[in-house]
Amino acid sequence: MPSKNFIEYAILLLFKDRNDHFFSFLIFSFIVFILSSVLFISDSLQYDLIQSIKSHPQIVVENMRAGRAYEMHDGYVYDIMQITGVSNVEGAVDGYYYFAQKRVWFHVIGDAHLAKDEMVIGQGVQKEMAELYYKDVFHFLNEERMIAVKIDKIAPKGTNIISNDAIYLNPNTARAVLGMEMDEYSKLYVTVPNPNEVSEIALKIVQLYPSVKATSQADAIGAVRHLYYYKGGIFMILYVIAMVSFFILLKNQVGLVYGEKKKEIAILRSLGFCIKDIITLKFIQNAVVSISAYLLGVAGAYIYVFMANAPYLRNIFLGSELENSVSLTPVIDLNLLFLIFLFGVIPFLAFVILPAWKIAISDMSEAVKS
Amino acid sequence: MSKILIQNLHKLYNPNKPNAFYALKNINLIVENGEIVILKGVSGSGKSTLLSLIGGLSKPSEGKILVNEQNIAKLPDIMSSAFRHQEIGFIFQSFNLLEGLSVYQNILAPLALTTLSKEAIHENVNRAMQLANIEHKKDQNVGSLSGGERQRCAIARAVVMNPQIILADEPTANLDKENSLMFIEILKKFKLLHKTVIIATHDILFDDLDCIDRCVHMRDGELVE
Repeated sequence: MPSKNFIEYAILLLFKDRNDHFFSFLIFSFIVFILSSVLFISDSLQYDLIQSIKSHPQIVVENMRAGRAYEMHDGYVYDIMQITGVSNVEGAVDGYYYFAQKRVWFHVIGDAHLAKDEMVIGQGVQKEMAELYYKDVFHFLNEERMIAVKIDKIAPKGTNIISNDAIYLNPNTARAVLGMEMDEYSKLYVTVPNPNEVSEIALKIVQLYPSVKATSQADAIGAVRHLYYYKGGIFMILYVIAMVSFFILLKNQVGLVYGEKKKEIAILRSLGFCIKDIITLKFIQNAVVSISAYLLGVAGAYIYVFMANAPYLRNIFLGSELENSVSLTPVIDLNLLFLIFLFGVIPFLAFVILPAWKIAISDMSEAVKS
Repeated sequence: MSKILIQNLHKLYNPNKPNAFYALKNINLIVENGEIVILKGVSGSGKSTLLSLIGGLSKPSEGKILVNEQNIAKLPDIMSSAFRHQEIGFIFQSFNLLEGLSVYQNILAPLALTTLSKEAIHENVNRAMQLANIEHKKDQNVGSLSGGERQRCAIARAVVMNPQIILADEPTANLDKENSLMFIEILKKFKLLHKTVIIATHDILFDDLDCIDRCVHMRDGELVE
C-alpha cells in the first residue's frame, strides 16, 4: 500500500503533466458517455415496456393467418373461457389508422371508458393533428364515410413510451374507424390467476385454434429483452470498435509521451524509486485519469439521458415515425456499469503501465547523463 | 560508516555483440568514510559509469562494490533502490530536475518514499534548501532558474535524505566560474558534515583544493596512478 506522501506526490506529478493526459481522458470519457447513454436508454425503455406488459393479463391472443392479423369474434371468447384455469377473457380492439395527409400511422386502441364521440390522443398524435389544424375535432376516413370524433384529452407525457402515437377511442368507434364488425376483436386478453398454468393454457389455446398466436407475459418480456439485448446488438459491435480504436490511439499516445518521459523515470530511479514504485506511481496517476474519466462519462450520460431526455439518440431506440418526447425512467443496471468499468479501465491501465515498466527496467545510467 | 570498497570491477556494454566494449576494466578502489575523492579523466574514460555502478543505477558485469560491507552489485532492484534512497545523493551535470515543478516540489521527491509527517518533511526540505542556499527560490518553477540556481536545487534534492555518500558527475560543467566557486563552498560544507563525496570531473578548479583528499585518474576504463 503506497504511503500518503507517495500518493500525494504521484498526483502532483499528474497535475504537472495534465496536458499529456488530457487527450486520453477526453476520449475515454466520451466513449464511456456514449456507451452509458446507450445502456441507460435501452434499460429505461426496456423497463417501461416490461412494466406495460406486466400491467396486462397473462396471455395475449392474436389471430394470424399467413402472417397477417385477422379479427376474432365472440365465439373465440366463449371457447377460451371454457379452458380450466382461465378466469376472464377480454376482447380488445387494436389496429393502425393511416393518416394520409401526414403519411404517418396512428395506433388506434379501444377503451370502453370513453364515449362514442370522444377520444384521448398521445402527444405525438396531437402534434401531427395540430399541424393540420385538427385541434378540437378530428375526422377519420374509412372506406364508406367520415367519422368525426372530439379530441377530449391529451395523454400525459409520462405515458409517452406507449401513448405517443396512440388514439384511444370507444371500442365501437374504433371498430368503425378500423373497418371491423361490431362483434369482432383484434386481440384477446386472457387472465390466468395461477402463474404455473400460463404456458400450458397458452398451448391449449393454440391447440384449440391453430391459427392464433398466444403470447404469455414471459414470452412478451423475453421478446422485449431480446430486442434490447445489448450483447447481440449493433451496440456491442460499436462498443468493440470504439474500444479497439481508443486503445490503438492510446498506445500511440503513450508511446510518444513515455519516449519523452524516459528521463523523468530515470531521475526518479536515481532518487531511489524502485521499479515497483514507478509502476505504482503510473498506476495511481492513470487510475485517477481513467476512473475520473469513467465517472464523468457515466455522470454525463445520466444527465443527458434522464434529465435532458437523450435528444437525437432517443429516436434511434424508439423507432417511431412520430416525434416522441418520452420521459425516460431512471433505471441503472450496475452490472453493466461494472462491465464497462472492467473492459474500459482495466485495459486502459494495462496499456499505460506496460510501457512505464519497460522503461523502468532499462539501464538508467545513460538516460540521467543526457 | 560508509566505506566504499571496489574490487575487480568490470563493466561490459553490449555483451555477445560485435560492438561489445569494456567501459570499466579491473577497477580496484577504496574510499574511506568522510573522504572527498576526485575522479579525473577525459570524456569516455569511464568516470560516469563508475559513479553509476557505485550508486546502483546499473549493474557491473564482474566484481564487487562493497558499501558498509554489503555488496550492492548483487542486490535486487528493490534493495538497491532502497540503498540509493537512503545512502546516495546524486548530483548530475545536467541537473536532472523535474521540469514543471517548483524548487520545493523537486526537493520533495525523495521524501515521497517515506512515511514522515508533513512537519518533518517540511523541516528536511528547509534544511536541505539552507545547505544549498536556495530557500529564497523555493516556490519558483525550476524552468525559470539560472544554471547555478538549478544546480543548487539539485544539490538540495541530493542531500534532503541526509545521505552519507554524495556522487557528483561533472557538477560544474554547465556552470560559470562564480557558480562553480559556490559549488566548492557547498563541497566544503560536505567536508564539515563528514560526507563521503566522489566527484567525476575534468574541471581544473578542483585541483589543489584543501577539502579534496585524493585525486584518482582514469583512462580507457582503467585507474591510472
